[in-house]
Amino acid sequence: MEFLGEVLGDAFRYVFEFGPELRTILALTLIVAGLATAIGVLVGVPFGVWLGLSRFRGRGLVLALVNTGMGIPPVLAGLLLLILLWNDGVLGSWDALFTPGAMIGAQALLAFPIAAGVTAGAVRNLSGDAVEQLAALNVSASRRSWIAAREVWPGIAAAVAAAFGRVIAEVGAVLVVGGNIEGETRVLTTAIVQEARQSNLGAALGLGLVLLAVALIVNLALTWAQLRGEPAA
Amino acid sequence: MRAVDFGELAWESDGMQIVAPTDLGIRSGERMVIFGPNGAGKSTLLRLIAGVIGERSGEDVAYLPQRPFMFRGSGRRNLLMGLAGEESNRAEVLAKRLGVSNLLGTPAARLSGGERQRLALARTLASGRSLVALDEPLAAIGAKDRDNVIAVAGDAIGERTAVVVTHDRDIAVAFADRVALMVDGAVRSVGPPQEIFLDPANQDVAHLLGHQNVMVGTVVKQDGPLVQVSCSGLMVWALGEQAAGSEVRVTFGADAVTLHTVSSATATEGQDSARNHWLGSVRSLGDVGRLIEVVVDVGQPVAALITEGSMAGMGITVDDKVALSVKATAARAVTSAKQ
Repeated sequence: MEFLGEVLGDAFRYVFEFGPELRTILALTLIVAGLATAIGVLVGVPFGVWLGLSRFRGRGLVLALVNTGMGIPPVLAGLLLLILLWNDGVLGSWDALFTPGAMIGAQALLAFPIAAGVTAGAVRNLSGDAVEQLAALNVSASRRSWIAAREVWPGIAAAVAAAFGRVIAEVGAVLVVGGNIEGETRVLTTAIVQEARQSNLGAALGLGLVLLAVALIVNLALTWAQLRGEPAA
Repeated sequence: MRAVDFGELAWESDGMQIVAPTDLGIRSGERMVIFGPNGAGKSTLLRLIAGVIGERSGEDVAYLPQRPFMFRGSGRRNLLMGLAGEESNRAEVLAKRLGVSNLLGTPAARLSGGERQRLALARTLASGRSLVALDEPLAAIGAKDRDNVIAVAGDAIGERTAVVVTHDRDIAVAFADRVALMVDGAVRSVGPPQEIFLDPANQDVAHLLGHQNVMVGTVVKQDGPLVQVSCSGLMVWALGEQAAGSEVRVTFGADAVTLHTVSSATATEGQDSARNHWLGSVRSLGDVGRLIEVVVDVGQPVAALITEGSMAGMGITVDDKVALSVKATAARAVTSAKQ
């Protein structure tokens, strides 16, 4: 018990001190996870709406690929990007390895299938009556997608929440392509690994509490938006 | 008149094959009612025409689904969805005529089934597309509002081509230039309602409806729940609330017609409760199942169903003079959609 109390005490002290190291880590985490989620959602949600509405040969295969992508291990996504960005790799000339840019790219790869898959699922849950009415409306394809997206708005909020939750919590991808360089590419999760490895359990737990707090705030905001979108009746 | 070409259309689902609607031979500007029992494939045929299933694009079709869906947002958002410019103005006017203009600020999720149907009907009719396809447009609309909705829809369709699916005989009679009778995925016969609903050879119709007399006429006067209608000079009392001068169609079943020999008719005139008494001569006798259909010319043909026993007892043959009586409450006047 004494040990646990000691770790907790260290953790809270670390958080409330809110030192420059923690501030840098938190800021980079929010930037990387935020931008990665934004990119994944901006590409994934429209793709998911299209996938949910359209009927074509091979649609089942695409849905299966997206669903597989939702479960891809982050460390594998990071490895694939690492190979591309390696000096001799296809994108080696970008010189992006071990930069926040590479981390955003890796996490966007993780966010995309989640945003697309959850959105497609919500659109596919539209009633047959709704789909038929959509088809009957005299509107362009993009307008039709927009109406469908608005109709499944809580599902899209869930897609954003799931994508953000996925990237903020993952450690494998950012570690592989970012390298966990202090002050440059260290984010909350990789910092937790670092501190734990060095037996700084208080600091590690403190970072974990900050991570939870960020996730909680973002999900509160998205849940509020979701509930607002529910019909009043 | 130019035929509306739907191209080659076919659909098969759950073992039922829907025939290509090119068989309908719908003419430009015509109002075709697809009529038949539930499960006959009427809606599937309309959806093929509207292009929501199958290969047809349907971009020329204003389509009202059987269960119109209301999207998030206000009644107005749903009313105007997909409409532009003049169409939007028309939709507002139609919403008013259909009695839903006061609901445009209400969230669509709170609207009742009837209100949704009117709103969606207003949107569909306001569209400038050349072919109007309505699936059971009055299914959720109460009896007292039907005449108004039929009249508004008739006006709004105007000179455009319309295809209306219904299983309701009165709606079919009110809308149709021609009726396509559909049973088990196939169009069995196509023709004017007067013929389709009163075709001694058509066992499908007889089975579905009983044989129906259909007459076209003008209301002469109202009397309580009844109207007197002049059908090419033949005066017919029927249930109805239309004002004098209204164009209506009167329907009554052949089984509601009582046949009298002329001498007995004279004896009972004024003593029974029937308001309609007509004299005429027997034009034909037809065997329809276990009954005999007697068609009597009383200025226009009226069908009566009697048993073989009655026929033998009365000794009726072709060209005999007979009297017919029909209770006014057995006949209905429905407002004609095409004035």
